[in-house]
Amino acid sequence: MELFVQQTINALSLGGIYALLALGLAVVFSIVRLINFAHGEVMTVTGYGIWFILLSGFPVGLAIAFGVVAAIAASMSMERVAFRQMRGADVTTLLITSFAVSQIIQVLFQTGISARPVAVILPDWLTDSIMIGSVRVGMVSVLSIAVVIISLIALRLVLTHSVTGIAMRAAAEDFAVVRLMGISANRIIATAFAISGALAGIAAVLWVATRGSVDPLMGAIPVLKAFIATVVGGLGSLGGAVIGGFVLGIVEVYLQAFLPETLLPYRDAIALSIIVGILVLRPDGLLPGVSTNRS
Amino acid sequence: MKHYLGTTAIAAVLAASMPFAALADDEYVIGVAVANSGGLAPFSQPSFDGFSYCVDQKNAEGGIAGQYPIRLEVRDTRSDIAEAVKFAQEFVDLSVNFIVAPPDGDPTMAMGQITSPAQIPTMTFAGTAPILTSAGDYVFGSYPADNQQAAVLGAYAAELGYKSTWILTSPDAAYTQFGPRYFAAAFEANGGTLLGEGSFSMGQPDFSAIVTTIQNLDPQPDVIMTSAWEPDFPAFIRALRGAGVDIPVMGADVLDTPTVRGLGDVVEGIVHTSGGYAADGSDHAEFNAAFEAATGTVADTNYVVNGCDILGMIDAAVQAAGSTDSAEVGVALANLSETPGIMSSFTFEGTNRMPMREVVLARIEGGEKVFIRRQLADPETMPAP
Repeated sequence: MELFVQQTINALSLGGIYALLALGLAVVFSIVRLINFAHGEVMTVTGYGIWFILLSGFPVGLAIAFGVVAAIAASMSMERVAFRQMRGADVTTLLITSFAVSQIIQVLFQTGISARPVAVILPDWLTDSIMIGSVRVGMVSVLSIAVVIISLIALRLVLTHSVTGIAMRAAAEDFAVVRLMGISANRIIATAFAISGALAGIAAVLWVATRGSVDPLMGAIPVLKAFIATVVGGLGSLGGAVIGGFVLGIVEVYLQAFLPETLLPYRDAIALSIIVGILVLRPDGLLPGVSTNRS
Repeated sequence: MKHYLGTTAIAAVLAASMPFAALADDEYVIGVAVANSGGLAPFSQPSFDGFSYCVDQKNAEGGIAGQYPIRLEVRDTRSDIAEAVKFAQEFVDLSVNFIVAPPDGDPTMAMGQITSPAQIPTMTFAGTAPILTSAGDYVFGSYPADNQQAAVLGAYAAELGYKSTWILTSPDAAYTQFGPRYFAAAFEANGGTLLGEGSFSMGQPDFSAIVTTIQNLDPQPDVIMTSAWEPDFPAFIRALRGAGVDIPVMGADVLDTPTVRGLGDVVEGIVHTSGGYAADGSDHAEFNAAFEAATGTVADTNYVVNGCDILGMIDAAVQAAGSTDSAEVGVALANLSETPGIMSSFTFEGTNRMPMREVVLARIEGGEKVFIRRQLADPETMPAP
């Protein structure tokens, strides 16, 4: 039982990070119908931002704040430089554009900084563990779950109690009508990218704390996981993205923990088969968006 | 008759020297498949830096064997095997004299299947999977192979008094899958016991589930061994130590990086293999100093010096063959024995073209690489590929 509880905490911790990432993708997709595959590179920007500030001798709190701000700036810059020019283009064009942005940023980091990972030294207490009852849990896991809960509550407050948030939700329902009501499209979309960047930045902090290093390809796997979570949850659905993230995290961790040793190498294949099974039963995801528009 | 014999002798001498003489003014062309971006870039970039630095040095001395100026045909595979295959065909079409492949077994084997039938020797920059030479008779390794490293590490683990081990593998690469299994085999050959095996996916975001599994092993292993590299190893070791598990961990040569050593207390005491150690006053140390002085880049990984050693291997093979003919050079290379190198000497003879080289054992202490010893793998306990 203890083992099950411990693995469940691990699953919630990982699922929470996936949920943050998936939410970041979903926020943008719900408004501009773009699956931003450069979302992972926003995480990479955060990682290198933290590394740079720590290397410069500043405290870890400042480094984390800088990393998240850098993520917001990077996300908004992508929108301004690359995606705004493509506004109105079909889903495929936007998808390819996001791949191009992703590749360009990866190569810039590889050639401009280093192809090799760099160590990010975070405080020792982050690598400690605490006892919850009879279960020993890593501090990063505890922090991950706490940060995810706080972030999701904060996002919900923004979306339900601020004018911009309400406008974003309206835009997700029917963007054309929102524009007819005099709300600036640029402002709504830029805000969506800023929120998306902030979520990627927070997820990146947790990611870097877990992995202890940053490399140019750091964002490749997370964005793939986030994409899967978004699809499982339901494209265009913010709540679905969160559910999809947790489902993916739970599936991965439980398979890792409870599969027989001989089947462990097939873990990813089994996980994806389960995901496909979910989509067969619910083609539009677990919590479909109001108006999904698949590519 | 005397005149006829004299003329014949002169003609024979001229004829015998023709291939060499005709090529004397020729360039020695090396096709180099690098990976400037993508997953292999961290290993390819320093390998190529060391290689090209020594090509310049060698050309200043007249070139390969002191007489054939080297010209490089460099192509960027972007870590894509399909690109590597395309360039392999291009190198064959160009009739290059020698090919250097990316630093991994998979692209090297893919290229070797094209270049080996053309009898062009093809050497990986740093691939260590001993099976890579099975791609063809002209495919060569350059770095101490995984089974050599495992044999030395497994024997050392037993020597430290460890009785049992648990290994962490990944099916995503031959290196991560077979390295720990070679270690387990060598450890068992030295009297140890394998308790079990875990599996991870490369790029896996989280290792907490694996760590929980380790925490619940009964009995607990004396030592854990993995060939995971960055960024997986840092994630694993942080999760392991963060969960309060202090079982000793051993790893392969990929842990010999400033990034791993820079992880702080979580890597304290970790023992790993390495291809070399730049002891004060050694050729290796002198090379590192000269490289840094010339390029402004610190040679903080053995891939740099190994890149230079690859050129040394080519040079030694051409000299041994007395020819630049690719097929003859390939045969000569496969028969080199105890040939001096900068990182270590190398023997291809009797090794199925994976060179037998000394393996260094090192321990991470205070963020530094501390030398333990260097030795050749014991053929008696070295696992078969």
